[in-house]
Amino acid sequence: MTPATAHDKNSETAAALHRLEKAVLPHLAKHSSVAEIITTSKMQEVEVMRALHWLQNKGLVKMTEVIEEILLLGKNGQHYSKALLPEVRFLNALKNKPLALSQIKKITSMSDDEIGASIGALMRLRAIQHVSSEAEKTFGLSEAGKEMARGGLKTQKFLSEKRFPAKVKELSDDEKKITTELKMRKDILFDEVVKNRTAVLTEDGKDVLKKAAFTRETTDRLTPEMLVTGKWKNAAFRSYDLTAPAPRVFFGKPQPYREFLEEVREKFVSMGFEEMTGPIVESEFWNMDALFMPQFHSARDIHDAYYIKEPKFATDLPKELVKKVKAAHENGFGTGSKGWRYEFSEEKTSRLIMRSQTTACSSRKLASADLKIPGKYFAIGRCFRYDVIDAKHLADFNQVEGIVLEEGVNLRHMIGLLKLFAKEFCNTDKVKVVPSYFPFTEPSAALYAKHPQLGWIELAGAGVTRPEVTLPLVGKLVPNLTWGIGIDRIAMFKLGLNDIRELFSHDLTFLRNAKVA
Amino acid sequence: MPTITFAYKDFQQLLGKKVSIEEFGDLLVLYAKAEVESYDKRTDEVAVKLDDTNLPYTWCPEGLARFFRGILGQHNGIAKMKVSPGNYKVIVDDSVKNIRPYITAFVAKGRKIDDYLLKQLVQMQEKFCEGYGRRRQKVSIGLYAHKKITFPVHYKAVPPTAAKFIPLDFDKPVNLAEILKQHPKGQQYGWILKGFSNYPLLLDDKGEVLSFPPIINSSSTGRLVVGDSELLFEATGTDEESVNLAASIFAYNLFERGFEIFSATMKYKGRSTTIPALKTEKVKITPQQVEQVTGLNVTSSSLSALLQTAGYNADGNNAIAPPYRADIMHPVDVIEDVAIAYSFDKIADEPLTSYTLGAKDKSVQMINSLRKAAIGMEFQEIFSHILTDKKTLAAAGSSKIVEVENFMSETYSAVRNSLLPQMLDVLSRNKHADYPQKIFEEGIVASAVGSKVAESHSIVLVSAHSAANFTEMKQYLSAMLVPLGASFTIQPAEHPAFIKGRAGSIVVGKKSLGVIGEISPAILAKWGVEMPAAAIELNLNFLLTD
Repeated sequence: MTPATAHDKNSETAAALHRLEKAVLPHLAKHSSVAEIITTSKMQEVEVMRALHWLQNKGLVKMTEVIEEILLLGKNGQHYSKALLPEVRFLNALKNKPLALSQIKKITSMSDDEIGASIGALMRLRAIQHVSSEAEKTFGLSEAGKEMARGGLKTQKFLSEKRFPAKVKELSDDEKKITTELKMRKDILFDEVVKNRTAVLTEDGKDVLKKAAFTRETTDRLTPEMLVTGKWKNAAFRSYDLTAPAPRVFFGKPQPYREFLEEVREKFVSMGFEEMTGPIVESEFWNMDALFMPQFHSARDIHDAYYIKEPKFATDLPKELVKKVKAAHENGFGTGSKGWRYEFSEEKTSRLIMRSQTTACSSRKLASADLKIPGKYFAIGRCFRYDVIDAKHLADFNQVEGIVLEEGVNLRHMIGLLKLFAKEFCNTDKVKVVPSYFPFTEPSAALYAKHPQLGWIELAGAGVTRPEVTLPLVGKLVPNLTWGIGIDRIAMFKLGLNDIRELFSHDLTFLRNAKVA
Repeated sequence: MPTITFAYKDFQQLLGKKVSIEEFGDLLVLYAKAEVESYDKRTDEVAVKLDDTNLPYTWCPEGLARFFRGILGQHNGIAKMKVSPGNYKVIVDDSVKNIRPYITAFVAKGRKIDDYLLKQLVQMQEKFCEGYGRRRQKVSIGLYAHKKITFPVHYKAVPPTAAKFIPLDFDKPVNLAEILKQHPKGQQYGWILKGFSNYPLLLDDKGEVLSFPPIINSSSTGRLVVGDSELLFEATGTDEESVNLAASIFAYNLFERGFEIFSATMKYKGRSTTIPALKTEKVKITPQQVEQVTGLNVTSSSLSALLQTAGYNADGNNAIAPPYRADIMHPVDVIEDVAIAYSFDKIADEPLTSYTLGAKDKSVQMINSLRKAAIGMEFQEIFSHILTDKKTLAAAGSSKIVEVENFMSETYSAVRNSLLPQMLDVLSRNKHADYPQKIFEEGIVASAVGSKVAESHSIVLVSAHSAANFTEMKQYLSAMLVPLGASFTIQPAEHPAFIKGRAGSIVVGKKSLGVIGEISPAILAKWGVEMPAAAIELNLNFLLTD
């Protein structure tokens, strides 16, 4: 683009004027007060203001604000600018002869307040006087009063004839006196400090105004009719102000946390893992016993898992497998293990709970007929814990867990797998692999990864699956690894959350504004 | 997962080596499945959190120091221990056989018990009984001033009203039944004795009550105080190996603190045992096994060295586990200790080598196309908890709501059987957000049918704005299902959540799989929603199963 000259620019500007700008421009040649422009243009205030701001942004108008004191009509003032003041009515009633108060009331049909106000005002003007000879209080006009009855009251004239709002600094001394008098009355006049806006055309503005006068009539919208008739050929389309803000619309969006879990799913699939699933209402058998968690383990306490009220027991447990798992707990099931050495309860093993770990999916997969060796598996699933809900704990959350089965797989491969997770989920090579404890693995390890922003975080746990788990479930001792990733921490970081409860937020504004990766 | 506190200076003395608190923190993480939770420099008190629930000997400074003496090369193999023969007897009456059959006891003498040591003993007693002792049911431990006791001690079971004594923290004698009712410890641990007609009792030879295991000690003999220098240890329980373990751990701890340990004999009907038994355990372990599990290439001699670092004795192809451990079930348990002694941070990683094909669950693709369709129709996705307030759910037909028996909060007291109530919750919480509000959720619902729980995937779409209506929802439904080749009809139906005459069943094949309609003003009012709304909820299982 070559730099446009001022002249060219003004022509372009003139061609691109908005309907409202065009409407306002001619008035700017005659008026500078925004209030006057509004009145004379017969446009709405918001339209005028929008047009003036646009023009100002284009450098065509210079707007200023002057602070001024103005005089306005109050509620009663508005009334008396059209109707007569009570004292005028009082005065008119006495035009011909003095009257008793009750008669005045009757003729004028004014309230006691109005009568009182009238007497006060007329006494101050010395326009009326008591006629003392009568029994009832009676008023008559003074000479000054008679004069006033003929010529009218200054206050009434002021209210009826003055244009409000009136600028205080432009009032004459006489008017100021009247103002003072009227301000003593309720709701007639009041002062206000206002910003008086003015808009003056700049040199460019004047030029554009001239040019705008010669631009063709512009078209706002292309219509089907114009296309059919060919009228579009003669149409000039108004250019838009492309920088003007557009009203906001809310389009459909995926929930950010759920979308994050989809990414995790994609990631595992890309690493060669096959997805496993399982029910959320699960038996203790698959959730715990098959994983060699002894039935007396503290995590199986009534205070750690949610127990189902009805039905209480699973009816579809594989009987033969339950026997094998029972043996593993009681005596090691021929794995060379002593087992946990206690009496295994078959009733407890069939008790239904809310799944407390997605490892339940792993135990089901290990025992399934379609288990592949070698095989890599993952599950993303909802788990439930008996926890007090706070910024760090939920009763209902997601876990990602899985298994890797491969001849010859051992602790070294497990460390390799953990390092892979650190790379994939924290994009880091900085890791610490340290011993840990899980009932179903030995050796067991925890992975700490140095997240570029969060610092060291405990990212995952893994271990070499115990023979007491593998032999009963798989039917042979295939070396395999069990692992799990604490995905919530990463999710919270990615979504910029500090409170875990926001992962399941029902706040629509938050969801509508949430960034989607 | 117990957390214990102790003076760090005390630990250093027990360890016999200077290690900074920072190094100690790193050592705990790298070797002991534990971490420093806090350290107060002013009082020198350190709090350590331990993850391994099967290794109670490490739940005290003595045990941690013993473990690290091995790791840091201060000592090889099982720790030193000497037991002097004592002439103490505990006569076990057959009446405890079916209630709490096992007891172990020994006497320790020779060091004045100060305030700190007393606290450490009590801490270990509590951690052991609460965690490993399964809240005293499996094992409970008592400590007594030895001088007040006339041996032999008798362990027997008596009727609840047959014995009276003053328990700790009481000032008048009460019987055993009254203790269970009135004493805080009785209320806390009484469940252990539920259903028994006789209760265990420990008495000395003069008939003085020592304690009422596993509930409370006597206030006269059953109290160890600062200044005592001779004590009786006793553990009762339901598992002999565990009461033995308790005695071994305490004997080692007291021995390492300078006490002389005197054995005691437990006389059962027809047999007797001497405590501390100090039973070691032999586990056969070969370099090949170690390599198979860990990938570490070890020789017999390097394996022996690692075993000794890990606190075992090595004897040819056998690892000898110390008496203060009872966690070893399988050689893999020893192998893990070998790997830890080798140090996890020195073990080189190896990549997995086999090729496997990745795959999503077969339902995912269908679910995601429905989600995309809803998003394309400008619906905002919602993701809610599966547990919800049972009061917001209504049972449908013959199926029942799956409720949680031991819920903590009503808010999470049942498994949702419909997604609609949570959408109404969204509407009610967002009355000030811009309309139209078009929201949807896809997720799991469940209900109980007969003796089984049926889980399925469901999708709900709700549109709330001043002109929300049935036709609009029907358009969305068609837009979603027609591209999938799923044909449906809508049949008039009554549903409590919808306006009568404006609610229908979504029928696919011959099955009713969902509802569609305008939400009834009564329901909207109940949720405080001030905007008309229409909804679809559809069970997706027909699309997900082939």
